[in-house]
Amino acid sequence: MNLPGLAVRNIYRNPVRLALTIAGVAVALLTFVTLRTAVMSWDEAKNYTLKDRLVTRHKVTFVMDLPKNYADDVRDLKGADGKPLIRASTFLNWFGGKDPAHENDFFATIAADHTTFLTVYDEIKIPDDQLKAFNETRNGAVVGDLLAAKFNWKVGDNITLESPIFGARENGEPWAFKIVGLYSTTSKAVDRLTFYFRWDYMNDGVRAEAKDRVGWIASRSVDAAHAAEVTAAIDKRFDDADTQTLTQDEATFFQGFMGMVSSVLAIMSYLSYIILAILGLILANAISMSVRERTNEYASMKAIGFHAKTLASLILTESTLIALAGAIPGVILSYLIVDVALGDFLEYNLANFFPVFRVKIWTYAEAVAAATVIGLLAGIVPALTVARLNVVENLRRVA
Amino acid sequence: MSAEQSKSVGSAISIKGVVKEFTRGGQTLRVLDSLDLNVPEGSFEALMGPSGSGKSTLLNLIAGLDKPTSGEITVAGARLDKMSDAEITAWRAANVGIVFQSYNLLPVLTALENVELPLLLHKMSSAERKKRAQIALDIVGLSDRMGHYPRMLSGGQEQRVAIARAIVNDPKVIIGDEPTGDLDRNSADEILKLFEQLNRELGKTIIMVTHDPEAAERATVIRRLNKGVLA
Ligand SMILES: Nc1ncnc2c1ncn2[C@@H]1O[C@H](COP(=O)(O)OP(=O)(O)OP(=O)(O)O)[C@@H](O)[C@H]1O
Ligand SMILES: [Mg+2]
Repeated sequence: MNLPGLAVRNIYRNPVRLALTIAGVAVALLTFVTLRTAVMSWDEAKNYTLKDRLVTRHKVTFVMDLPKNYADDVRDLKGADGKPLIRASTFLNWFGGKDPAHENDFFATIAADHTTFLTVYDEIKIPDDQLKAFNETRNGAVVGDLLAAKFNWKVGDNITLESPIFGARENGEPWAFKIVGLYSTTSKAVDRLTFYFRWDYMNDGVRAEAKDRVGWIASRSVDAAHAAEVTAAIDKRFDDADTQTLTQDEATFFQGFMGMVSSVLAIMSYLSYIILAILGLILANAISMSVRERTNEYASMKAIGFHAKTLASLILTESTLIALAGAIPGVILSYLIVDVALGDFLEYNLANFFPVFRVKIWTYAEAVAAATVIGLLAGIVPALTVARLNVVENLRRVA
Repeated sequence: MSAEQSKSVGSAISIKGVVKEFTRGGQTLRVLDSLDLNVPEGSFEALMGPSGSGKSTLLNLIAGLDKPTSGEITVAGARLDKMSDAEITAWRAANVGIVFQSYNLLPVLTALENVELPLLLHKMSSAERKKRAQIALDIVGLSDRMGHYPRMLSGGQEQRVAIARAIVNDPKVIIGDEPTGDLDRNSADEILKLFEQLNRELGKTIIMVTHDPEAAERATVIRRLNKGVLA
């Protein structure tokens, strides 16, 4: 028998309280890990965005469109030294398509210029024969492999979509597409859940006033290191035109698009610390109760000759061990629920927002370290109470 | 050798002019009033007196659990009134064994482990600790109950474990505050017999508070405390 052994035996004394405390700590840590992972994975999404990929849109709002000839102007932009600033450029429109067969499932539908699209989004991989078919089929579409799997679509399928933005086709026919290819990606910057189709097919079908308008222009600067100067040069090019532009590199654009979300992230981050405070209260409550019930035992240990410091460290050991006992199931639970179950679900279904939803080893370490420190802190007040315990008065009370 | 030192030779407990006052809510209560007491080494003394007369207060001062308002207290050669709390705590671990009316054993420890507890305060191998605890339990006649937890023992047995715990460090002085107060006649007699044996065979100085005249009869000296003054 030794003092740590005594601390351990005291822990087991009230199994129901111990089980509830461990469960409380585990659930609090699970919540902490979930919130941290959400914040970090959102944060990480921007790591996949490219600094040299520039997005040019209407200066006022991305809902408004641009003349198509702007795309040519961007592509042909030259620096002061006469050298080209842009090495690739394409244009796209948000189509807002819906499949009546999958009324409640959202997926992105984008019209892209098939001749230039893959030079800007070179992470997108389409098998050669399917790419050939895309180039030869005016109503051809290439869809993300994950989206195809989700809706059980195959190459050769005919799909009809409705667009609340553009309405029906000018000639009254529905928007009919033929899936000619499935794409995968080499980077998480591009999701595998989008329905891309040819911009010229869209342009054929829209009303006269919507023709030759593009939603945004995406381009790649020659030199990623000078992206800021290039974005400024693009916007300057249209300064005196009827429609001005706003150009951002992909990373900045992503943050702007997610601007509203950033306050949600801040709240989540804040909540994750509130959870730790709750964890501290759960532990402090359990330890205080246990220690109070044993007041006269500590008094008699003092009478035997145990120093205040020794008794205080006995209590701190106990509270830290309880916190750790909860941290271990907390980490296991987090792995199973956040990393495995939730991670798979979100990466599959919400890849645009959570391209990677995996718990970082660092987050686990943070959770265990936080629990340990909080366990220690939770023991401080009871430890001080026992250290200051007046032996005479406490033994009077029991005698 | 000065006169002062020579006086304390041969006395386990020497108290001179001790005053103990408690202040509660602005009122000062003088519990012990210029008290003198000399307990020779190897004496077995019973302390009697009405409730509230200050018996426990006096024992607490002797055990170093409390400090006098004024006066000198020397126990086992140490001037308690001049020592710091930490010094007294360390001194107590080596020099005094205390037995309370309520046995105050730790419920999570077995009889043997409860007796081992004070030995944790000393540098000692666990085998040595165990051996000493076994000897102490053997002295109190409980070698067959070593693995029992307090809840499996009778009151008398619990008190005997508490006595084993009090003597395991081989202290010079044993203090008992109504050690038989919660026990029936037979169990009380066993405890008293044990005290006699510790006093006679091991030469322990014992001072014991009791309300029971029969218990007091077992001691070699009976002292009476009344209103803070020894008679
Ligand atoms: N910590 C304290 N604060 C205030 N008063 C105290 C304190 N300790 C003891 N007293 C008072 O001192 C007096 C003596 O108490 P003490 O416990 O020494 O009596 P006692 O002789 O042991 O009595 P009993 O036989 O009932 O155990 C009592 O009046 C008690 O109320
Ligand atoms: Mg008393």
